[in-house]
Amino acid sequence: MTAKGRNWGTNMQSIELVAPRYGIAWYPWAVQYFFLIGLSYASLWLVIPGAILGREKWKPAARLALLGAVSTAIVAPVSLLADLHQPLRFWHFYAYPTPSSWMSLGSIFLPLYVGAVIFLAWLIWRDPLKARAGAGGLQGLIARGIPLGQWKTPRWLVVVVGVVAVVLSFSVMVYTGAEVAILKARPLWHTEYLPAIFLLTGVIGAAGLAVVINRFSGMRHPLAGDQMLTIILVATVLAGLVAAGWLAQGLAINDGSVAAALESVRDNAGWRRAAYWGVAAGILLFLGAGLMEVMGSLRGTRWILGLLALAVAWMFRWTVLMDVQTIAKHTAGFNDYTLSLGSQGLLGIVGTFGLWLAVVVVVNLFVPWRAAYGGRDGADTLSATKGEPSYG
Amino acid sequence: MELARRFFLQQVARVTAGAALVPLSTVANAGINDQPPRRGGDPKKRYAMLIDLRRCIGCQACTVSCHIENQAPLGKFRTIVSQYEVESLESGNAVQFMLPRLCNHCDNPPCVPVCPVQATYQQEDGIVLVDSDRCVGCAYCVQACPYDARFINDRTQTADKCTFCAHRLEAGLLPACVESCVGGARIIGDLNDPGSQISKMVEEYRGELMVLQPEKNTVPHVFYLGMDERFIDRPSAAPELWEIRDGEGQELGYEYAEH
Repeated sequence: MTAKGRNWGTNMQSIELVAPRYGIAWYPWAVQYFFLIGLSYASLWLVIPGAILGREKWKPAARLALLGAVSTAIVAPVSLLADLHQPLRFWHFYAYPTPSSWMSLGSIFLPLYVGAVIFLAWLIWRDPLKARAGAGGLQGLIARGIPLGQWKTPRWLVVVVGVVAVVLSFSVMVYTGAEVAILKARPLWHTEYLPAIFLLTGVIGAAGLAVVINRFSGMRHPLAGDQMLTIILVATVLAGLVAAGWLAQGLAINDGSVAAALESVRDNAGWRRAAYWGVAAGILLFLGAGLMEVMGSLRGTRWILGLLALAVAWMFRWTVLMDVQTIAKHTAGFNDYTLSLGSQGLLGIVGTFGLWLAVVVVVNLFVPWRAAYGGRDGADTLSATKGEPSYG
Repeated sequence: MELARRFFLQQVARVTAGAALVPLSTVANAGINDQPPRRGGDPKKRYAMLIDLRRCIGCQACTVSCHIENQAPLGKFRTIVSQYEVESLESGNAVQFMLPRLCNHCDNPPCVPVCPVQATYQQEDGIVLVDSDRCVGCAYCVQACPYDARFINDRTQTADKCTFCAHRLEAGLLPACVESCVGGARIIGDLNDPGSQISKMVEEYRGELMVLQPEKNTVPHVFYLGMDERFIDRPSAAPELWEIRDGEGQELGYEYAEH
């Protein structure tokens, strides 16, 4: 044998006999974080036309989206913290700031963003809260205390805080995308198309969330529903175009992420299923939203489309963050991953959604969010839900 | 004019060098994904390893001795010898290929700049280490390493990896894997010392040494001699080891899974 090494020819027929099993290092908590923060920043953008630009037609949608933006912004950092193996050391992020790390930058952007969104919601919700000051019990107590005085929220302050929050939302959008996309070690992540799809599926999910809140809060505002439907349609088309661009460019210049994707789809049944599911869900979303645009009678079922939009946003993140981790880096084949039942698995997923639901219920109980920017507080007038029959 | 300009530049250089001692200035200087400054270790040295695959018999003595020396949790490895069976297209015979793997102590380590708290850092002598008291266990470095050299230690809940046995090197000892290698396949040493065995071998076999995944521009400092270049990237091999499954199609766990 020569020092130059063995030479067995070009077609490798090889079997891996010994290699360790490499487990995943980021748990479903990461999926929950990327899902919730994506919903949050995209929901905030849906608040812009109504709340910041003052467009009358977009105010109902802004009411829905603001609830979505705030509730997800509160829960997202909790799941992020849970994904740390040493969550109590989170203060190290601030003791040792590291400008070379996107995650370190994110640790600065994220709390600023969450703070700005909560501050914006407080500014917007304190006027309807004041109107409820006469109510009894805890509701009245909160309505009198939280607004911190009788002053009317100046419009300019909402605009300024809104613009600051939107700027910060861009920083969160950029860092969450770049954080993953810079990693050369995982070819499927290492593409500039990934942040774009994170963004677009975030918008799809946020519009879906607004549709679902519209239905289940009893607000049932038809115009807001239609607007969200259009946003889902447009974002789905754009996501499809970006995905097609990724594939086309990858095939043309033999990009690593496209090559890795094709290899995974070829070699693994689970990846084939994921690919079929992704394409099918995208087409279903497009056809569903398109049909509802054309046929008004279908629009009562918008909320089903909203749930599908949320599912698409979540499943995309699951595939990207969990499934990609099962592709071996320097060994053969795929690592098995089975969802555990405990807090690093199913319980974490259910718990995050439970926490989100709890936040929404608490806000709904104590904040007359439907009455923001001159809306009608449906919670106080039961007749709001009497107009339309309930389909459950 | 020229003199004044030179004086000005000198001053700037001095000011900048002085500012490097102030932690805040690194915030302004370092770009995203740039390597943070190295710290600790002997600046005169550059440790590296050369693995002579012609001498490796795949006995896993390195794997075992590393495990005993560094107390990695069961199922996690700082070093291991991946083994492959390859059908020779010339002779048709099945032949074995051994690939000892460990941290490459890269000159451009992708794990270091991503660390959000600089718990993962590179010493002046090139050794990449983890400060487990500072590590938050975010596992970003585990994702960033293309060589699977890192893992989360279940016991400490922090990132763990090969240290070139820095604690042994400091005491004048060889790393556990080097000391236990029956064939003498692993050679560690200081590349900056022209008299070291590794420097001599790097000089002698300059055109034949290979590193893993060189296209990722990580500049690994574990060099392989007698390497088959089809194994420098993720091998296109059948993972036979994981084909044995239980009745429900699940992988059989390690035999120590219950321990």
